[in-house]
Amino acid sequence: MKTFVTLTTKKAFSTLGLFMILMIASVYFNQGYAQTTETAQNERIIKGIISDGNGPLESVNIVLKGTKTGTATNSKGEFTFPKPLKTGDVLLISYLGYETIETSIKGDTTFLRLNLSDDLIEFSGALNSDKPYKSKRSN
Amino acid sequence: MRTLLAIGLLIVALQSHAQRSDFNNIDFRTADKYALECKDEGLDNLPFLVHQLTSNLDTDVERFRAIYRWVCGNIANDYGLYLRNMHKRKRFKDDSLKLKEWNDHFRKISFKKLLRHQRTICTGYAYLIKELASLANIDCEIIDGFARTSMIDVATLDTPNHAWNAVKLNGKWYLCDPTWASGLPNTTTNQFEFKYNDGFFLTKPELFAVNHYPVDTKWFLMDDDIPSFNTFLEAPIFYNKAYENLTAHNAPINMHNTVKKYEKVLFNCQLLNKVDEKDISLLIDNGSNAKKVHPQSTTIINQNLIVEYAFETSGFYDVHLYIGSDLITTYTFEVEKG
Repeated sequence: MKTFVTLTTKKAFSTLGLFMILMIASVYFNQGYAQTTETAQNERIIKGIISDGNGPLESVNIVLKGTKTGTATNSKGEFTFPKPLKTGDVLLISYLGYETIETSIKGDTTFLRLNLSDDLIEFSGALNSDKPYKSKRSN
Repeated sequence: MRTLLAIGLLIVALQSHAQRSDFNNIDFRTADKYALECKDEGLDNLPFLVHQLTSNLDTDVERFRAIYRWVCGNIANDYGLYLRNMHKRKRFKDDSLKLKEWNDHFRKISFKKLLRHQRTICTGYAYLIKELASLANIDCEIIDGFARTSMIDVATLDTPNHAWNAVKLNGKWYLCDPTWASGLPNTTTNQFEFKYNDGFFLTKPELFAVNHYPVDTKWFLMDDDIPSFNTFLEAPIFYNKAYENLTAHNAPINMHNTVKKYEKVLFNCQLLNKVDEKDISLLIDNGSNAKKVHPQSTTIINQNLIVEYAFETSGFYDVHLYIGSDLITTYTFEVEKG
């Protein structure tokens, strides 16, 4: 009897597992399909504003990952990306002294509002020298 | 048997510490050429700079090399910035609030100086290398630690005084020091002069450890025989040229030595390049005058340099080892009457 119950449970689980896989796969493929049709028509101009804790940041670089295409923010922290972008494109937003952000364009993105945070590093530095060492002598 | 041999070789290969010779098959001149071609690029667009430097190179080590050479050839050491920081840090060392305030302020002016004037101190070099490497999808870390030079008495320092990098290439971590590779201050004017030193690129960890002591000792990248802080403080002075001339330094292991008159003193290093015995010399300084000697018992066998020398008069001497005109190391000798 016990064996029978175990078998049934196992069977139920495996059926459920198969069903789940089918569900996930169908959702995944559906999304993939939706995305390709959407991106074909849905290339769009992306605008945005970049700031830090103190307000808008000027001269922040916005570059399409893996390419040379990009722009920089104006004095109000605003930018308009020079090339239409599609869903799934990745932008690198960087400014020396701030942590670089990677952000991907989502299905409904047309405007990006992003905050950069400081790279909290403590500066130190020893200069090297090829001045020969000279012992301090008392006499 | 063959399989056993192969496994044996593989184990030896895995155990040897990460160093530049792992990439002997790569000609870095291509990467260096890209670094040179980007001479006029600034730091106002880091992703663009990385793209220009690396997009035509095939391997991570070459991509990293192009970034490293660009930083070493285009970012200058700022002596004024260094002095200001040392002065303020000393002043506020017992006032943690003021020290934090200073560090925050100093970070801002340092980044501004780096961006606009391409001048910085060690952390700026290490930070920039890390940032550019990460834009090229290369794992890189800033390593904070202590560094010894002929002009710094590390024993008097309260906080780390130097920063360098570790970079992961083909799954292995390697060491490099972009600040010291970029150049040196002129010995009379103190003005920084660019002069690239290739000895700090993927340096052998044992050599690097002579004058670099990381706060987190895992960054020695040595499995065992990690030097104690005392060993580090007692080591001889190593100059930049040591990194271009040596692969190992064996004796004397200490900076300060006490010997008897006529006692044989042994100097022993492994040389990187072929050197003629007549190019080896010691400059012996007794405080009032210095004389250059070419010890008669100098031998070089398989690039292993052995110099034997005996002092003939008692006294206290600074002894500098030279290869040609390159200053390599300094030791001191208290010579007793015997």
